[in-house]
Parts: sequence; C-alpha cells; structure tokens
Amino acid sequence: MQLNYLANLSHYVPELIVCLTMVMTMIVEATYENGEKSKPLMYWCSIVGLFCAFVVLCLSLNQPPTTAFFNAVVIDPFSTLMKIIMVLGTLGAIWLSHSSNDIYNPVKPEFIMLGLGVLVGGMLLASANNMLTLYLGIETLSILSYALASLRKNDERSSEAGLKYSLYGGISAGLMLFGMSHMFGVLGTIQFNGMAQNIANLTQNEILILIPSFLLFFVGIGYKIACVPFHMWSPDVYEGSPLPVTAFFSIVPKMAGIAVLLRITISFFSNDGVMQYSWLGLLQVIAALTMTVGNISAINQRSIKRMLAFSSIGHAGFMMLGAIVLGVDGVRSVLFYGIGYMFMTLAAFAITSFIQNKYGNDHFERFSGLIYRKPMMAIAMTIIMFSLAGIPPFSGFVAKFHILSAIIKQGYMTLAIIAAINSVISLYYYLKVVRLMVFKEKEDDGEIIGFSFVNQSVIVMLVIPVVVLGLFWAKIMAVADGAKLFIQ
Amino acid sequence: MITLPSYLFISFVLFICGLVVMIARKNIVAIMLGIELILNAAALNFAAYTKFINQNLDGHIISLFIIVIAAAEAAVGLAIVIRFYQIKESIHIDDATQLQS
Repeated sequence: MQLNYLANLSHYVPELIVCLTMVMTMIVEATYENGEKSKPLMYWCSIVGLFCAFVVLCLSLNQPPTTAFFNAVVIDPFSTLMKIIMVLGTLGAIWLSHSSNDIYNPVKPEFIMLGLGVLVGGMLLASANNMLTLYLGIETLSILSYALASLRKNDERSSEAGLKYSLYGGISAGLMLFGMSHMFGVLGTIQFNGMAQNIANLTQNEILILIPSFLLFFVGIGYKIACVPFHMWSPDVYEGSPLPVTAFFSIVPKMAGIAVLLRITISFFSNDGVMQYSWLGLLQVIAALTMTVGNISAINQRSIKRMLAFSSIGHAGFMMLGAIVLGVDGVRSVLFYGIGYMFMTLAAFAITSFIQNKYGNDHFERFSGLIYRKPMMAIAMTIIMFSLAGIPPFSGFVAKFHILSAIIKQGYMTLAIIAAINSVISLYYYLKVVRLMVFKEKEDDGEIIGFSFVNQSVIVMLVIPVVVLGLFWAKIMAVADGAKLFIQ
Repeated sequence: MITLPSYLFISFVLFICGLVVMIARKNIVAIMLGIELILNAAALNFAAYTKFINQNLDGHIISLFIIVIAAAEAAVGLAIVIRFYQIKESIHIDDATQLQS
C-alpha cells in the first residue's frame, strides 16, 4: 500500500520540483544576514527550479494520461499544458519582482516563496479529479494569494487589497463548499467520473436540489476566474497589490480557474439533459456579462494597471466561451488563448512596471512620447496592445478567431456577435495607449533606468512569441489539439 | 434516532445565520465569524450525508480537511485584519474605501 503511494510520486515530479524549490528558497533565505538587500542566490535558485519544472513538464507532454493517488489527481496532456502556462507565468512574475521597486526590497524573498506556493495550488487545481483535491487546490491558491496581495505591509492600499481579497475569498469558498456538500449528498461520491455517471439519471427532486447546489458551486470557481457577479474584488485587489503580484494574479489563479471550469463542464455536462441545459445557460449569460462589463469598465480608467485588470476580466469572459463549446475545439482554442495571453500580459505588465518605477504612478500620460525615448519598447507595447485587441497578424487574433469559429460552429450566433462587439470596444482603450506613445510630445528626457539592456531583451523575448504565434500558429495549435482531457 | 432531514435543517439554519451575519454586520471580525459558520454548515452536511447515504469515509475526510483549512484561512485573515487595524485604527468595513470601486 505505502509502496504504491510512493510509486505514484513518479507522475508528480513537476509539483515535487516546485515544492523543493520553495523549501530551498526558504533555506537560502535563512543563510543571509539581517539587513542584506539583494539576495541573488535566492532569485537564481527559484529561476533554476522553475526552469527544471518547465523542462520536465515539456518532456511529459506526450505521455499517456494516468491518474495518481487513488484517482485523486489526473495527469493528462491538458493539465500538463495548463501547468506549463502557469509555470512560465510564475517565472515571468519572479523576474518582474526582481527588477520592480513596487515591492520593498526586504520582502522580495516572500514573493518568491508565496508565489511558488500559489503555483503548487494552481497545479493541483489543474489536475484535480475529485472534489477534495479541487477544494484543496482552490484554498492553497487563495490563502497564499491573500498574503501576496498585502505584501507591502506598511501600505494602506496593499493591506486593504489583502483584506478585501480574503473576505471575498472566504465567502465564496464557504458558498462553494455548501453547494459541494449537497452535490455529494445527491450524487453519492466525490469522484468526478462517478458524479458524472450519476448526473445522467436523476429524479425530479434531485434535480431541484442539484441546480441551486451547482449555482453555489459556481460561485467558488467564478470568484477565481473573476467573472462578472463575482468580479468586484478584482479591480481593487489588482490596483492595491504591488505590480508583480498583479501580473501574477492575472495569470496563475485565472488559468487555474479556467482549467477547472473546463474540466467540470466537459466531464459533468457532456450528456443532454436539464442539467446540461441550465449549466450552459448560466455560462452563456455569465460569459457575455463578463466580457461586456470588463471591457466597458476598462474604458474610463486612468491607471494602466487598473485598465489591464479590467481587460483581463474581459479576456476571462472570452476564455469562458471555450467551455461552452463542450468539445475538443473549445479546449484547444482556450489553451492557445491562454498561451498567448500569458506572454502578452507579462510583457504589458513588465513595461508598465518600469514606467511606474520611474514616475511613481502608471497613469496613461506617463506613456506619452515613449517612441521618441525608447523606440524598441514602444514598438513592443504597440504589438502587445494590437494583439490584446485581436488585430490580425498577432496571436491574440488567432486565438479569438478560433474561439469564435468554435462557438459559431455550435450555433451560438448571439454570443459570437457579443464577443465581436466587445473586441471592438476593447480596441478603443488599447489604442489609446498606442496613440499616446506615438502622437504625443514626450514629457521629459530622463533616462528610464528599468529599461536596461537585459530587461529590454527579456521583454523582446516575451513579444517574439506573440508575433510568432500569430504567424505560425499551426504547430502550437497541434500541440493544444493533442492536449485532450482524460476523464477517469 | 436523529434523521438526515434534522441534520440538514440544522446546517441550513447555520448557513442562513452565516449569510445574515456577513450581510448585516459591519465589523470585519464578525464577518469572518460568519464565514466560519458557513464552513461549519458545509462540514456538518458532509458528515451527515456520509453517515446516512453512503457508508464510505469520503465525507468525514472532507469534514476534517474543512476544519483544518478553515483554521489556516482564519489565521491568514486575522493577520491581515491586524495589519489593517494597525494602519487604520479601525476594523469597520466602511473604512476600507481607499481603493476606488
């Protein structure tokens, strides 16, 4: 029995590497003397650890799907690809935290440790196969995120962000658990495949209990994705948190939430029936609302960080459309969207971060005339904005195109029209940045220290995939196509 | 013999109490108490369902996990509340208005 358990660990190498890296960073942190400012060894330790995890994940992409730990977690290409996205996102956020002044120097080690912990939670969530692992993943993700949000502990805004995050998080986790308990009672098991089998044949009364339970259950996932009725925390938390934390939040917890939403939708609701009808109806309404509210609220923002926060709500709505498709088309376009979104978000936040380091705030006007000062960065930002808005030669366009074609194939014309209108709305505020950078006079001539040669080349390296994925998308799409869900 | 509906009724009452506390009280610590009530309602449900409907241990194990995780969540939450109190000298939810919403 025990030996069986240990043998299962061989499927769980990436998570183990991340956990060990977390422990290693703690040990390394303890070796520094008090008051020592820069801790390069810690930074490199975490980078190397995450890189190892990335390589192992890439190598295991083509392996046959299995389950581990008595069916508690499932390791399939879908979860592996999601984990790759999350690992890369964490890697980028740690690099960003290293060069950002937004987190005070002495607490940077905490960012690395807590960030790695959140990553472990996200990986658990991406491969959850029963209700217990789902709950554990969501809570690992949330509890560490509360601490991350209030990382700048002497700052009023940061601790308020943490407070709001923890209150909303606690409430939604409680509601989700209450829904889950009734689902467990009616369906009789916590294993996803058993629940899915029992969902196919229900009596009238059981459906009457299950529908509100699933509604409550959705609160928990919806809060992680930040979709509309549960999005109120998101702009405040994103604004109050330090910038690297914001970049991290808009990638890792969001992708983990999307992954679990896809898995739940496809494993539970693939059969026709009342349950499928109501769940898909709920998702359609919420996806449409999420896109619209996110994009319309983004229009009137002064701070780039807050604008990116609202636009990430809009993108989450777009990714939810992929879950409605209920099939291979939806899964692969969401994965492709996620890969592109990760690169675009990281690069946009990186450029914003360096501007903010220089001026102390990140209002739109700080970007004016950037093209005369740092042409390379201005071009990079322009490409990212075009790609986020979904303009042809970039990856954002290909991703949006595939999601739209998938939902049109399923016959959801209204949703497709709403999504297309939202793309047009988002164009307005994305192009505002471009207009300021190109057509406005520059404000001052001061050197922006953050844009050193190394940092500029990292940003260019983040932008190259955005362009390449837009032009030669077939290869990555084939990888995403192979990333099938394994329901066991 | 206490039957399943009685357990469900008690947990439902707990759930409603928690919701009311969260909506009505303006004190942050009271809101966290409300969250605990909801979590306990869920734990009670799991234990009751596993006793009466399926005889395996799943529900009991989930209840144990809920207790542990609720403690962790309360610890982190209270730490943040203490930070907030040291900065603002108040634990009233209406004082958390620094961030525009």
